Amino acid sequence: MNDRLKSLYQRVILAKAKDERFVGELQDHTHSIKAYNPLCGDKYELQMIVEEGLVKSLKYRGSGCSISKASTAVLCENLNGKNQEEVLLEIQRFLELVDSDSDLEPDQITSDETLLAFAAAREFPERKSCADLSWKEVQKQFNQLFPNHSKE
Amino acid sequence: MNIKLIKSEFPIFRQKTPAGNDLIYLDSASSTQKPQSVIDSITEFYSSHYANTGRASYWPATQSTRQVEQVRKKVQEFIGTKSVSEVVFTSGTTDSINKLANSIFNSDLWKGKQIIVSEMEHHANLVPWQIAAERHGLELASIPVNDDGELDMAAYRQLLEKPTALVAITAISNVLGTLNDVNTICGLAKATGALTFVDAAQMAPYSGINVDHLCCDFLSFSGHKLYGPTGIGVLYGKEELLNHMPPLAFGGGMITEVDLDKSDFRDSPYRHEAGTLNIAGIIGLGAAIDFVMSIGIETIQSHEDELTHELLDRLSSIDGLKVLGAQERRGALVSFTIDDLHPHDLSTYLNESGICVRAGHHCAQPLMKKYQIPASTRVSFGVYNDLNDIDIFIHALKSTCQFFL
Repeated sequence: MNDRLKSLYQRVILAKAKDERFVGELQDHTHSIKAYNPLCGDKYELQMIVEEGLVKSLKYRGSGCSISKASTAVLCENLNGKNQEEVLLEIQRFLELVDSDSDLEPDQITSDETLLAFAAAREFPERKSCADLSWKEVQKQFNQLFPNHSKE
Repeated sequence: MNIKLIKSEFPIFRQKTPAGNDLIYLDSASSTQKPQSVIDSITEFYSSHYANTGRASYWPATQSTRQVEQVRKKVQEFIGTKSVSEVVFTSGTTDSINKLANSIFNSDLWKGKQIIVSEMEHHANLVPWQIAAERHGLELASIPVNDDGELDMAAYRQLLEKPTALVAITAISNVLGTLNDVNTICGLAKATGALTFVDAAQMAPYSGINVDHLCCDFLSFSGHKLYGPTGIGVLYGKEELLNHMPPLAFGGGMITEVDLDKSDFRDSPYRHEAGTLNIAGIIGLGAAIDFVMSIGIETIQSHEDELTHELLDRLSSIDGLKVLGAQERRGALVSFTIDDLHPHDLSTYLNESGICVRAGHHCAQPLMKKYQIPASTRVSFGVYNDLNDIDIFIHALKSTCQFFL
């Protein structure tokens, strides 16, 4: 691991993996999404309260490596308060960021220091599925979950 | 045993990893590296005398056919069986178990009986039996693993009180390293009239195989865990069973007489070897067995035992580290967890130092559930590992702990 990456990994990913703000359950959640990687056993349940097309609150619980945990925490942080369209845009941006096949450089995609740390996944292709596990699952299920919500 | 010399026979260790390190390969329980002699045997076959085996009367077919039968003989000696008819080539242990489970219960004789597996089985020695039980109306029962990582033999004896069709058990756990008392397990099963299958994938490269001593009806191992190529394995079975059970697969080479509406089949082993075999794989397996025998399996075992003891000793000084299983006797592997350090973070970090360890559930989810852990890290040894590998590993492990914890 080169030093720059090491420091990003340490500063952002380890901090976010230990960030407990979004860990837990929402008793009155309206939706629950399960993200599971059968190859490595990482498993999360995301609970959210969605009202009038807006994500009002998110929590997650489960277990996995620091990358998948941090990425799920950041997902919660970033999708909070967004509507369906914004959620999908945010997810698209994140998936592009961790994709080593992307034509765009990470800093062309975002200037957010926290998100940029996840671009490290580009150097660890075998860990990409840790970084994008929860994001992909939310993307996959979002349209199914909210077929009738438009952006009003 | 001259490790330096042995290691020099493995070309992969001559190069550096992309990060510029020596390769410290600690994942032989998953698959072993290949010595030059195995690689050369395959190259030579394809370049010098390749042809399909079987009844062709021309050279080079005659030579490739002879070579395949020589390897069959070599396997026969390696596993200590009486007849080459008891050696069926498959593509590996998983393939052997799938085919056996798929074929053996094709009779009403077995209905309502149980198949016994154990809680420590690799998915390959569990899922095919689950599916076979479901398809053929059998029950599936499993022997629990106690807290020391050993099979609960009292529970096994109790399970055997119910009518049992077959007991399928691993000789060495690929997660805990436990050496099961296969001889007793098979003996008890046999006394009730049940058939027995032994998954010897981990055993073959560690202690070798003696089917007489194991007292089993069927057994399988893979070439790629024995310094041989991928895609080749062996299913051993008692001759009378192999000759009377339905063929494992159907097609060319395994028939005596074919009409449009029915066919008759040959005796074992050809009865079970439909289609063109993995000839190059078989030849590579032969070279792998030669390689192992030239060192001596007892020599390999005591070398790996020494490494395992040293590793366990060194691991005991690391805070928060728990070794899975407390059994006295174990194969050449150790799985462990470290509080608050996920195995995938550990394995990624170690990879930066050229160290290959396995992180995950090791295809043994029921066992992970028993220990209530999502994953563990496994270190396993091959003939090419030495104490220096352990030094480098322990050093990197300590620095990983400092980084993450």
